[in-house]
Amino acid sequence: MEFDWNDEQRTFRATVRAFLNDNLPPDWEALAHGPGSSAQSHFSKQFCAALAKAGLLVPHWPAEWGGRDADPWTSFILAEEMWAAGEPRGGQYMNVNWIGPTLMRFGSLEQRQRYIGPMARGETLWCQGFSEPEAGSDLAALRTRAELVDDKYRVNGQKIWTSYAGLADTCFLLARTSEGKGGISIFLLPMDTPGITVRQIPSIIGEGDIHEVFFDDVEVPATAMLGGEGEAWSIVREALALERVGIPRFALATKMLHRAVDTLRKESRFHHSAQVQAARAKAACEAARLGSYSIIDARCNGQIPGPEASLVRFGTVNAERLVSDFVVEHLPEALSGGDPVMLAHHQRAIVAGIASGAAEIQLNLIATELLQLPREPR
Amino acid sequence: MQFTLTDDQAALTGAIDRIAEGFDSIPTEFDGFHLPGEALEQELEAGGYFDISTVPEMGPICAALAVERLARLPCTAEIALSMLVRPQVGDDLPRPFALLENGRPGRFVAGAGTLLVLDGDGIGIAHPAAGDTETVESLYAYPMGRLTGAPDVRPLSAEETAKARNWLRVACAAEMAGLMQAALDATVEHTSVRKQFGRPLGTFQALRHRMAECAVLVAGVRRLALQAAWSGDAGDAALAAFHAQDSASKITYDLHQMFGAMGMTLEMSLHLWTYRMKALSSELGGLGAQAASVANDCFTADNPY
Ligand SMILES: Cc1cc2nc3c(=O)[nH]c(=O)nc-3n(C[C@H](O)[C@H](O)[C@H](O)COP(=O)(O)OP(=O)(O)OC[C@H]3O[C@@H](n4cnc5c(N)ncnc54)[C@H](O)[C@@H]3O)c2cc1C
Repeated sequence: MEFDWNDEQRTFRATVRAFLNDNLPPDWEALAHGPGSSAQSHFSKQFCAALAKAGLLVPHWPAEWGGRDADPWTSFILAEEMWAAGEPRGGQYMNVNWIGPTLMRFGSLEQRQRYIGPMARGETLWCQGFSEPEAGSDLAALRTRAELVDDKYRVNGQKIWTSYAGLADTCFLLARTSEGKGGISIFLLPMDTPGITVRQIPSIIGEGDIHEVFFDDVEVPATAMLGGEGEAWSIVREALALERVGIPRFALATKMLHRAVDTLRKESRFHHSAQVQAARAKAACEAARLGSYSIIDARCNGQIPGPEASLVRFGTVNAERLVSDFVVEHLPEALSGGDPVMLAHHQRAIVAGIASGAAEIQLNLIATELLQLPREPR
Repeated sequence: MQFTLTDDQAALTGAIDRIAEGFDSIPTEFDGFHLPGEALEQELEAGGYFDISTVPEMGPICAALAVERLARLPCTAEIALSMLVRPQVGDDLPRPFALLENGRPGRFVAGAGTLLVLDGDGIGIAHPAAGDTETVESLYAYPMGRLTGAPDVRPLSAEETAKARNWLRVACAAEMAGLMQAALDATVEHTSVRKQFGRPLGTFQALRHRMAECAVLVAGVRRLALQAAWSGDAGDAALAAFHAQDSASKITYDLHQMFGAMGMTLEMSLHLWTYRMKALSSELGGLGAQAASVANDCFTADNPY
């Protein structure tokens, strides 16, 4: 067991930090409203292109697609540093983490040639069209239909909560081609296809993060289907396994907690009850960090992370909640014109237990798969 | 960062596992507040296991793993302080070790070879003679004792005190991790079998989620304890002890609740773990003291990220 970084990992982290230092604008903290904001989305194209040139966008991808086959630690250290910096890759982190790798594995030659290059060069933004008004946690209940008419699919329906949809170039869309779980298929759909309407949903979590997307007789060539008809469920399961630990949220949470404590100390406001809460938040951040590392370690050893990943995800939700509550209680000014990064963090933190699947679903998985409790009656 | 054990470490934890298997059950006639583990202690002593921390291929991380594993047993012996603290304050000092905190009764005080006498911020070392201590009846699931005599106390230097306090915290966290795991395992087993409303209690989501949340905390306590044992860092140790004591209060409440009245009986023995957790929660100044140290040692100028 070794709880420290090796030289190569330290050097890599330093390289990423130096890159951030050189490439983030001086007013970055005021600009970083969240990965979905239009300022950040536009900046991400320039930033990701520079990352790609420096070999820091997709180092863990195969050389064939612009990477260098780096190990999971490399991509995780990169992800930590990016998230802690306010995610200057914007929504492009999804390309890097799972959309690109999923296309490499399941895409047709034409799909790979068309989409992977622009992702590896940092030129393109995707969105993930899964959730619907009637299909949130119960994703298999989704209703958006894709009907084969002659040699094309015609898509009708609605998605909701779709992050980055307003500025995305392409949608990774789930639609129903027949009944049941086995009746869902994936389409790679250019967002400028006629019949798609995007409406941003005003929210407390900042700009650009959640949208409604309407599909009215949208015609999609059959070649836009990823994998075979009805294969969405198994492909998505595998794709999201790449994302098992999810975003390294603990990194920004830890940074914000330390920043809050620094401020309180300077102003002699770090009294005993704040210390207890700070310790609680710090412990949750550390537990989430080490838990995430154990999943990365398992991946490096060729193991497929199991239900332990759900422990980590729930632990991360705890950490986000404790840090954001700490700030609200002890530095409430952060949410009213105080520190823009703390505000942006708060807006990211409060969705930790909802976005990419409700925390309770993780608890269900822990109960069934890890603790092996008898199943709930259906 | 890597969390797999070396071959030597794996061999050691395998050996500890095999020893533990011999002590995994509670005698049927048992109905006490604590289950003494003299035979376990003798076996560990005979095998030289109290000194594993000083073996270079093993180190404190192995001692922490052993402490965690052995704390899962229903019986109790003075293991954690001997394995994790003694090597740091003087491996020639006679064991068992015990902590005497501000004159209160403490675990293993009666019969201790070495007392760590914690008074306010200072720590001293004493070796009580036969008549200097006596046992105390207690609800805690440890043999509790108090000091009646007045043995000489040799104060530790500031540096030695800090070191002793660090490793007391590591010992607390590592032991807590094992206790929590065992109590959770027992509750999972109980709620998988016990039926009400025609189905096992463990099928009710309200309970499943609480057990799952406990599992999240247990995993965190274990990781923080191991990190602290690996690094020996003051901040890591304070954080591990804080998280252990903080989590213990939720976990003991939740798990007892899910056992219903049965969990109150000596027969069911859940107390063998939860009332060790409660004893440990009160030590080293409790949560408030750990928090103050975390505030001092974890939020330094050298910020992560
Ligand atoms: C910021 C943000 C960004 C998002 N981005 C995207 C995106 O890009 N693409 C996309 O497709 N989706 C996206 N989502 C949607 C997200 O995946 C869903 O919100 C999530 O799956 C939960 O679905 P829901 O909101 O419909 O909640 P519901 O399914 O209505 O659930 C509400 C609550 O009920 C409880 N609950 C639900 N099911 C259970 C259960 N089985 N057991 C116990 N309790 C339960 C949970 O507390 C849950 O939070 C995003 C959401 C947010 C907040």
